[in-house]
Amino acid sequence: MGDSAMDSTLPTPESSVPEGALFSMTDVFLFSLIVGLLSYWFLFRKKKEEIPEFTKIQPVTSSVRETSFVEKMKKTGRNIVVFYGSQTGTAEEFSNRLSKDAHRYGMRGMSADPEEYDMSDLSHLSEIDNSLAVFCMATYGEGDPTDNAQDFYDWLQETDTDLTGLKFAVFGLGNKTYEHFNAMGKYVDKRLEQLGAQRIFELGMGDDDGNLEEDFITWREQFWPAVCEHFGVEATGEESSIRQYELVVHTDINMNKVYTGEMGRLKSYESQKPPFDAKNPFLAPVTLNRKLNQGGERHLMHLELDISGSKIRYESGDHVAVYPANDTSLVNQIGEILGADLDMIMSLNNLDEESNKKHPFPCPTTYRTALTYYLDITNPPRTNVLYELAQYATDPNEQEHLRKMASSSAEGKTLYLSWVVETRRNILAILQDVSSLRPPIDHLCELLPRLQARYYSIASSSKVHPHSIHICAVVVEYETKLGRVNKGVATTWLKNKVPNENGHKLTVPMYVRKSQFRLPFKSSTPVIMIGPGTGIAPFVGFVQERAWLKQQGKDVGETVMYYGCRHENEDYLYREELAQFHKEGALTQLNVAFSRDQAQKVYVQHLLKKNKAGVWKLIHEGNAHIYVCGDARNMARDVQNAFYEIVAEFGSMTQPQAVDYVKKLMTKGRYSLDVWS
Amino acid sequence: MEGSKTHSSESMPGDLSEALKEATKEVHEQAESTEFMKNFQRGQVSLQEFKMVMASLYYIYSALEEEIERNKDHPAYIPVYFPAELHRKTALQEDLEYFYGPLWREEISCPESTQKYVNRLHYVGQHEPELLVAHAYTRYLGDLSGGQVLKKIAQKALHLPSTGEGLEFFTFEGVSNATKFKQLYRSRMNSIEMDPATKKRILEEAKRAFLLNIQVFEELQKFVSQCHENSHPAQQKPELRTRGTSEAHEQGPAPVKEGEKTSMKHTDMLPSTPLARWILVLSFLVTTVAVGLFAM
Repeated sequence: MGDSAMDSTLPTPESSVPEGALFSMTDVFLFSLIVGLLSYWFLFRKKKEEIPEFTKIQPVTSSVRETSFVEKMKKTGRNIVVFYGSQTGTAEEFSNRLSKDAHRYGMRGMSADPEEYDMSDLSHLSEIDNSLAVFCMATYGEGDPTDNAQDFYDWLQETDTDLTGLKFAVFGLGNKTYEHFNAMGKYVDKRLEQLGAQRIFELGMGDDDGNLEEDFITWREQFWPAVCEHFGVEATGEESSIRQYELVVHTDINMNKVYTGEMGRLKSYESQKPPFDAKNPFLAPVTLNRKLNQGGERHLMHLELDISGSKIRYESGDHVAVYPANDTSLVNQIGEILGADLDMIMSLNNLDEESNKKHPFPCPTTYRTALTYYLDITNPPRTNVLYELAQYATDPNEQEHLRKMASSSAEGKTLYLSWVVETRRNILAILQDVSSLRPPIDHLCELLPRLQARYYSIASSSKVHPHSIHICAVVVEYETKLGRVNKGVATTWLKNKVPNENGHKLTVPMYVRKSQFRLPFKSSTPVIMIGPGTGIAPFVGFVQERAWLKQQGKDVGETVMYYGCRHENEDYLYREELAQFHKEGALTQLNVAFSRDQAQKVYVQHLLKKNKAGVWKLIHEGNAHIYVCGDARNMARDVQNAFYEIVAEFGSMTQPQAVDYVKKLMTKGRYSLDVWS
Repeated sequence: MEGSKTHSSESMPGDLSEALKEATKEVHEQAESTEFMKNFQRGQVSLQEFKMVMASLYYIYSALEEEIERNKDHPAYIPVYFPAELHRKTALQEDLEYFYGPLWREEISCPESTQKYVNRLHYVGQHEPELLVAHAYTRYLGDLSGGQVLKKIAQKALHLPSTGEGLEFFTFEGVSNATKFKQLYRSRMNSIEMDPATKKRILEEAKRAFLLNIQVFEELQKFVSQCHENSHPAQQKPELRTRGTSEAHEQGPAPVKEGEKTSMKHTDMLPSTPLARWILVLSFLVTTVAVGLFAM
């Protein structure tokens, strides 16, 4: 384009362009624009990343520090403060989450480090309306406060401030394997009350040896309803609750992309690839499924799972985990009562895009698959589920009823216990009994917990049965107070896995979870096994192994069994096998208690006490290892008490000394437990 | 415990597990009180320090596990041979790759005290294998106990992902219950046949193992203190808070500090509000245009 042409078309600025100029106005304008933009780029872009660092340094270098948290809360319009005593950051994280939660309930919270504030300010917190102080306190070492809570702890001990008007709640983080479990949480909770403050929710005690996160969530779910009730505040004020996931219905989808019950990789049940574990279970064919008992109302069974070709290895004492499926009629009834199309293909996508958990269970899938393989529909629902569902009850009385049970008031808790827990009402029962409650099925699927794998102690020895894993289980089936029949998910499902001669193989998705329940290293070490009922399972494996070792010419020590059941002629499990082992000498002592064959109850602990001298000799001189398997609630405790008695009497010790002796046996791995409740 | 009237070596007062715990009580406290460990427990550990620790641990575990493999059929080690449950070398390799990148082998080096530790491990494994259990006990049982607490601290202090990258060392995939596993391990230790003289030597070796570990920490602490003297010292707490904005595995503490300084300089010179920014650009443009016009 010629210069002259441009000169005539462009609006000329005030100063005229000299003839024959090298650059036109456009060029100059464009040039300066480019230079300007480039300057902007170099000078300002980098700063965007660096500014955050700068502003974060500022608070430290500034000399004015607000040590009154009450003043800070007043300035920033907050009514809830969450203090944390944290060493590893967990309590701090919980504290942050709680302070963020407040927003959901129309309140504003802030998380605070007690080390940075003057804690005596607590006496002024009531100046703020609807204020609340929450404490997430971790216990460190031998019942000590965390470093950042030391000053607060000292202040609590020394002060005699009147904290009347202060509302509080405490969640403690601890670990049950330590003697002073949650000492700090307990202390803060008690002390604040002593100083006159008002507790508005019970002390939470998280156990890091169990599942701290779960303990926190459970506490939190009941905590907020209690807070809302206390302050007369409705959660978010509206009827709608906070959904975590968004429903997406798939109308035109490739069926190969749809999950049909797999736990991990799509199609992992069709093309199986080792290694097999919790996310990739092996579909083991069932080769044997026989009833073990001769009579009685219960059904005890022995199953054998074929693991050839899976490369799965196990040791006797390990656990086999199975992924069960829910009863189809239960699934159908839920679909029917909610008027849902169970075969609709859908996904539930997490609204929080940053979350690692994209879906609550493998998606896309159908409601039928979700309710059958992924969701727990048999356990009584937790209170948070009731709380979320309440909004869908169109009858105001029924809605009130559900809300009340979900609240943490004493009345509410009692109601929940009696109406849900004691009657063992599952979700279907609740839907049946609360006729105006008809939630959308996708929201229900979001709320129900995941269906968990069930663990069974393996009843075989890999030395004798390297390609087969045996299970010994009792089918759970009982009538509730309301006359409904509740069935155990996995045991019912396993019961129906009966192999037939022709037809395709019935399989069980399973994997092996290593346990620490092991025979002693030296075969010459005596073993005392106590396993009444289905607790005998791992010991069948143990005895098989000891017999095998004997056959191998090894020096095998005393192999002592204490077993118990209800009736000799009804549910004496593995009677023939045990008799055979006893005859061969693999089992050197067989003591069996039949609890209901006579007027008074006779249990394994009674038999133990009949052999006090012999048991003591084995323990004290023979270095015997003790194993207890079965019911955790009563049997394990009764057996342990029997040992205390034996040790005290024959070891000439006081009761506390005997307790200590037995505890030491546990620490040294000579007293092992495989118990369940 | 009451004195026994029998001769069986197992019921002799003081199972190996109990004797070891007793014998190493003092050195254990010593190790916990080294400056490095105290700082670590407070969350005061920088990425650079942590990477150095992991590198040292890699050398140590490589040596330990090499000697364990050599002696896996030795009667004095078999009962406590738990490779699937315990061995850390692979986990450390994964962590080192996460922190240093794929060329991590060329990036790391073995400090003097770590080399001493490694030499001792090889010596024991090759010449006194009955003492190897002392080293396994010192490291593995520690990792299963306090090690779990250290994992959480490291995760928070270094802002490592909750999915576990960079912390594979602390994660024992093969152990479903640490407490029960330790109990099993102790029963295995106690089933190793040994005469009183050997037992005594094992206790001594365990103490030595602790001291070797302490020396590794102390050397690390010295190195770290020298580094701090060279660059501008920043307060510990702010360092932790600002690190949240930087990529954990791209920068160490030194670069971050320099970044902080330059950014402070920059912001002194240039305005930060958007409006001021645009005004500046516009005036710059106008100036350039004016200059251009003037030049024509």
